[in-house]
Amino acid sequence: MSDQVLTHAIDPAILSGGVEHLKLEDEDICLKVKDLELYYGEKRALNEINLEIPRKRVTAFIGPSGCGKSTLLRCFNRMNDLVDSARVMGEIALDGDNIYAQDVDVSALRRRVGMVFQRPNPFPKSIYENVAYGLRLQGINKRHILDERVEWALKSAALWGEVSNRLNDSALGLSGGQQQRLVIARAIAIKPEVLLLDEPASALDPISTLKIEELIYELKSEYTIVIVTHNMQQAARVSDYTAFMYMGDMIEYGATDKLFTNPDKKQTEDYITGRYG
Amino acid sequence: MSYNSITDRSWFQRKRAIIDTIARTTIGMGGISVIFAIVLIFFYLLWVVAPIFKSPEVTPIGEFNAPVMLAEAETKYIAIEESGQLGLRIASSGEILFFNLETGVDTSRNSIDLAEYSSISHVVEMNSEGTMLALGLDNGRVKFIGIEYRVNFVDGKREIIPSIAFPFGEEALELNYISNIHRLQATFVDGERLVLAALDTSGQLLLQSYEVEKGDDIADVAEESVTEVGMDAEYLLLDPLADWVYLANSDGQIIYYNISDIESIEQIAQQVLVKPERRVSHLRLSLGGISLLATDDTGNTVQWSLQRDDKNQYQLAEVRNFQASAAIDYLLTERRRKGLVGISTEGNILLYHTTAERQLLEEKILDRKPVLAAVAPRADMLLVKTEDEKYRSFKIDNPHPELSWQALWGKIVYEGYTEPKYIWQSSSADDDFEPKFSLAPLAFGTLKAAFYAMMIAMPLAIMGAIYTAYFMAPRMRGWVKPSIEIMEALPTVILGFLAGLWFAPIVEDNLLAILSLLFVFPAGLLLFAWGWSLAPKYVRRLVPEGWQALLLMPVVIALVWMSFVVAPLFEAVLFGGDIKAWMLRELGIGYDQRNSLVVGIAMGLAVIPTIFSITEDAIFSVPRQLTTGSLALGATPWQTLMRVVLLTASPGIFSAVMIGLGRAVGETMIVLMATGNTPVMDMSIFEGMRTLSANIAVELPESEVDSSHYRILFLAALVLFIVTFFFNTAAEVVRQRLRKRYGSM
Repeated sequence: MSDQVLTHAIDPAILSGGVEHLKLEDEDICLKVKDLELYYGEKRALNEINLEIPRKRVTAFIGPSGCGKSTLLRCFNRMNDLVDSARVMGEIALDGDNIYAQDVDVSALRRRVGMVFQRPNPFPKSIYENVAYGLRLQGINKRHILDERVEWALKSAALWGEVSNRLNDSALGLSGGQQQRLVIARAIAIKPEVLLLDEPASALDPISTLKIEELIYELKSEYTIVIVTHNMQQAARVSDYTAFMYMGDMIEYGATDKLFTNPDKKQTEDYITGRYG
Repeated sequence: MSYNSITDRSWFQRKRAIIDTIARTTIGMGGISVIFAIVLIFFYLLWVVAPIFKSPEVTPIGEFNAPVMLAEAETKYIAIEESGQLGLRIASSGEILFFNLETGVDTSRNSIDLAEYSSISHVVEMNSEGTMLALGLDNGRVKFIGIEYRVNFVDGKREIIPSIAFPFGEEALELNYISNIHRLQATFVDGERLVLAALDTSGQLLLQSYEVEKGDDIADVAEESVTEVGMDAEYLLLDPLADWVYLANSDGQIIYYNISDIESIEQIAQQVLVKPERRVSHLRLSLGGISLLATDDTGNTVQWSLQRDDKNQYQLAEVRNFQASAAIDYLLTERRRKGLVGISTEGNILLYHTTAERQLLEEKILDRKPVLAAVAPRADMLLVKTEDEKYRSFKIDNPHPELSWQALWGKIVYEGYTEPKYIWQSSSADDDFEPKFSLAPLAFGTLKAAFYAMMIAMPLAIMGAIYTAYFMAPRMRGWVKPSIEIMEALPTVILGFLAGLWFAPIVEDNLLAILSLLFVFPAGLLLFAWGWSLAPKYVRRLVPEGWQALLLMPVVIALVWMSFVVAPLFEAVLFGGDIKAWMLRELGIGYDQRNSLVVGIAMGLAVIPTIFSITEDAIFSVPRQLTTGSLALGATPWQTLMRVVLLTASPGIFSAVMIGLGRAVGETMIVLMATGNTPVMDMSIFEGMRTLSANIAVELPESEVDSSHYRILFLAALVLFIVTFFFNTAAEVVRQRLRKRYGSM
C-alpha cells in the first residue's frame, strides 16, 4: 500500500509528530470500562480491562490475532451476549450508565452504539431499504422522514453521489467498498453516539480502504469511533488514541502519536516495530 | 521428460486423465439417463393416451347381393355376430341365413317352422345383446327364438357355428284380445319374467307377462291388460325392465305409461318430441332404456330422459341434441356403449356418443337409401341393406367415443339425473351402464387432500423449523432435526394404515376433542409461554437458553389429556351428547369416518419432515453476519427474524413448500387407505375424497387393457405428471428469481 497516496487525507497534526498533543485528561469521556473480564466458558478472554474512551475521537485497538481486541469491541454493544458461553464481569459505563446493568434494554443500547463488521453485510434488500432498516425498526415509516434520513446518511457515508440514481436496486449489486460504506450509512442513519468498526477495511482493496479512512476522519466530528485494526499504519493514520492489547490484557493505552513514536512498554515497542505479532 | 512439461505423458498423468474422463462421462451419463427416463415416461403415457384423440374411421369391407332365398320373401331383420365374421338375416318366410360379412356367401341355412300360410311380420330383440328374439307372425301369434354361436377350432382355425334355439318352447304364443300385430315389443326381465307389448291397427295395446324361465315352455299368463290408445301409433317402445311403455306417432306425439303393475297401468303424460312442422324419422330407446332418442326429418337427434320433478311427477326432458346434415333414416344404438350409429337419407354415417355429447364422425358411405342396418355387438362392424337389395358391410374403428373434453372435465347430464353433474363412476356389473368419466372430482379430491395436508403441515413444519434453526440450543437441535428427518423414512403405507384403521375411529369417537385441540394447542402453548416469561428470573434460569421447548412436552400431554376429558362434558351439554348428530341436524354437515381431517393430519405428518428439513436448512444457512448486522442496529431477535432471516431464507422456504405440495399431490398410499375413496366434490373437512393417484391405484389393476377406462387412467397419470411438472418448474423459476433477489453473498 502506498503511503504517499494515503497521507494527504490524514490529519497533518498527527503525522507531523505531535505539534498538537492530545491528552486523555482533557477529553470528555464517553465510554468507561472498569475491571472488565470476559470468559468463554472456562477460558478467560479479557483480563481486568480498564479503559476510557473519549468522545468524538477515534480510538484504535491494535494487537496480534486472538489478543481480545474484537471481543472487547463487542462488549460495547453487548454483541457478546449472542455467544452462549460468554460471561462478562465488571462494568462498562456509557455516559455514566452501566450497560451491563440488570434493566438495560439491549436493543436500545445498540441503537446508541452502532457497529460495522469486517465483511460488508448489506441485507438482501434495496440500497434504500438497507439504510432505512434501522429507522423502520423503530417504527419510523413516514416516507419523507425516511427519504431525508437516507439521503443524509448516504451523503455522510460519501456514497450518495454513486448510488443516488439507483436507490431501489439491490444492495448486493454494489462493490465491496461501496457495500462497506453502505453499511456505515446504515449504521449512522439511526444517529448513534458511538460507532464501533471491527476491521472495516480488511476485506477491501487499497482505494476502497482509502475512502473508508477518509470517511472515518469525516465522521469523527459527530461520533465517538472505536476501531479495531490489524493494520498499524491504518491505526496510526486514523486514530487519535490507540490501545495495544496482548493475550487479553490491555498493555498500553494512550495518544496515538505517543504510542507509535515513544511507547512506554517494551512489548508495545516490539509489536509496532514488527518484532512479533 | 521434465516433471513440469505441459506435454507430460507419464503414467501418473495419463491415469489421472483417464480417471477424470471416466468420472465426467459417468456423471454426464447419469444426468442424461435421468432426463431420458423422465422423457420416456412422458412419451409412454402419451402413447397410451393418444388413441383417445384419434378420429374414428369407417372402411367398407364387402358389398354383395342378398343370398338367394328358397322362396320369395322379404328380409325382416339383420344382425352381426360377436366377432364380426358372420351376418344374420331373417326373412319373412322363416328362413334364417348366416353369411360371411365380406363375401356374402351363406355358411348356414336354417328354417323355422311357421304355421301354414303364415309369415313373419315383426322381429324384435328381447335383450340388449340381441341373442333372444320375438317373432311376430301375421296370424297374430308370437314365436320366440334364440340365436346361439359356438366357437370351434378346426386345424387351428376359428370356426363359428351358429344355431337356432327355442328358449320358451317351439310352440308359438297366441295373443288374445287383439286382432293383428301392428307393433310388437318384448323383453325378458331378470331371467324369469317375459313381458310382451303388442299394438293392433285399431289402437288396442295388449300387455302380457309370463313367469317363465329359459328352457321352460310358456304356461299361463301371469298378468295382462288391454288398453285403448287414442293414437295412431307408429312407434311402440318397451324398456328392458318392463316399467315403461312409450307410444308415438310420426308427428312426434308421445304417450307413455308406467306399467310396473300391468293390471293397472298408468298413463303418465303426453308430449311432443319434435318441433312443429317436423316429423319423427326414427325413435328408439337408448341402451338400457333409460332415455329416448328421437331423430326428426331435419337430421336433429334429441335425447329425452325421463326425469322426476319436485312434485314427483315423471316428465320427459330434453337432455342434449345432435344435428346431422340430413334426416337420419336409421338410428342404431351400440349394444355395449352409449354410442349411436345413424345412417342418413343421403347415405352418410353418423357416429355420436351421448354421454360425451360428441359427434365423432359424419361421412358419406352409401349412395343409396338404407333400408335395414345392424351394428355389431362390439360396435366395430356395420351391415346395411340398401333399397337396391344390396348388402354392404363396413368396419368401424371407433375405440374411444366416450372421451371428450366435456366428458372429462365438464358437467354432464347423465341418464337418470336431472341436472348436470361432475361424476366419476367408471364401471359396474351391467353392460348397459353409463360410465361416468369426469376427472373433475378426482382432480378436486387431489387438491382437497393436498390443501388440508398443507394446512396442517405448513404452519407446524415452518414454525418448527424457524424455532429449531433460530432459537434452539445447538445440542437440542442436534437431536431434534435428525428425529424429524427420520420420520420421512416412515413408509406411507404404515401412516395410511394407522390413519385409516386406528386414528380414524379415534377421531370419530372424539371429534370434539380433536377439533378443540386445533384451538387449545396454540392457545395453551402461548399461554404457557407467556406465563413462563412472567416467571421470576431464578425460575427461568433453571432452564438453559434454547432448551425451553422441552418444557412444552408435559404441557402438550396435559392439553391432549384435558381435551379428551373435558370435551365429552361439553359435548353432552352443548351438543346433546353427539356432535356428529348435532352437526347433521343443525348445520346439515355430514360426517364420514374416513375424512379430510384424518387425511390432513396423516398426510400432514408425511409432508412435515420434507418441509421442515428444507426450511430449517434454509433458515440455518442465513449468514450469521446478516443476523448480527441486524441485531447490531438495535433490532430485537424477533424483528431480525421477520425482516432479515425469513426474507433471506424465502427462496428455500418457498421451495420447501412447493416440494411438500408436490409430495401431497402425488401421495397415494395415505389417501388410498385413509379416505373412503368416494369421488365427491365437497370441500367439507368431514367428507372424504378420491384423488387422481389413489384412483389409478384402485382401478388400474381391474381395468381392461386398452379399454377407454384404461386409457383414461393413463390420462389421469399424464395429468398428474404434467401438473407436478408444471408446479415444480414454476416453483424452480420462482425460487431462482427469489434467490437472485434475496439470496445473499
